[in-house]
Amino acid sequence: MAITERMTKTTTPTYWEGEIPVRYVYTFGLAGEKFFRAIMEKGTFLATRCDACDVTFLPPKIYCDRCFEALDTFVDVGTVGHVDTFTVTFKNMDGSDKERPRILAMVRIDGTDGGIIHYLEGISIEDVALGLPVKAIFKPKAQRKGGIEDIIGFGPID
Amino acid sequence: MKLEDCKLGGTHLKSSDFEKCKILTTEWKPNLGYAWDDGVAIGRYLAELKEGKIIARVCHECRRIMLPPRMFCELCFRPTDEWAYVQDTGVVNTFSIARVNWDASRRGPNEPPLIPAVIEIDGATKGMGILHMLAEVGPDDVKIGMKVRAVWKKPEDRTGAITDILYFKPIRAAASKKAAAGKKR
Repeated sequence: MAITERMTKTTTPTYWEGEIPVRYVYTFGLAGEKFFRAIMEKGTFLATRCDACDVTFLPPKIYCDRCFEALDTFVDVGTVGHVDTFTVTFKNMDGSDKERPRILAMVRIDGTDGGIIHYLEGISIEDVALGLPVKAIFKPKAQRKGGIEDIIGFGPID
Repeated sequence: MKLEDCKLGGTHLKSSDFEKCKILTTEWKPNLGYAWDDGVAIGRYLAELKEGKIIARVCHECRRIMLPPRMFCELCFRPTDEWAYVQDTGVVNTFSIARVNWDASRRGPNEPPLIPAVIEIDGATKGMGILHMLAEVGPDDVKIGMKVRAVWKKPEDRTGAITDILYFKPIRAAASKKAAAGKKR
């Protein structure tokens, strides 16, 4: 069967624009609540530890995902770590250019088996390297709201 | 059984826990804008709405006049054959009385309930019709089988959208006579 109608002008095809209004409020959970409160109030990181499995969770979990044992002891593990992996981003989420390239890194926190993905600040693209020791930089206490943005990024250890 | 009595896991949170910032939260609004290619049939349908007309597609095999129009007959499994204008009047097939808005917020005490309805359009095959709103009729007076007529936006305000029809209103006995007289286009 043949094509019954043929479009001859490129202006003929039309489209319908719409938007799906979706907004969400995410709660951090029992462990996340403690974790972000420690960042907000003390400027430090909390982890939970399973002694049986010898695993220290950061961000903390309320149960061990290996032996399913409940974990309720939170330990202060400090804010020092090292760069595990990194990538350099030049574009914003909407595809526009960033004012300056930003380095995003997976930072392993020392003394834990976990880590935090965040920006590296005060480290040039030339100097960044795997294994580089870094330290969390927090916003001034008055500006912290309890969230990942309370951390400005990870910077060099002087 | 009350929610509080359920022996469920998890932590119950109240609205006030959020409002008084007792718990930490993070908010996000994803950008879910989209552009949908409306195709040959719906493209023409929307363009005709802008002109104040409703257009359908005819299949010569099953002789159905299909609304909304489509380029392919799903019963005969073949392309449809021609365009056909239909009336802007019709019959209520089903309706619903909504006391909430699209986002589930309650309608105010002075806001009448919304009455979305499937309207079988005159000139299209029976059962063929569109979903639209009814107005100028109360929730107690709306009936299945009620004759209705489209109320259009002013030509200069039309954008080529289904909302170029503001709503459908009942055709009253006197009004329908007048409409019949004026229908000789």
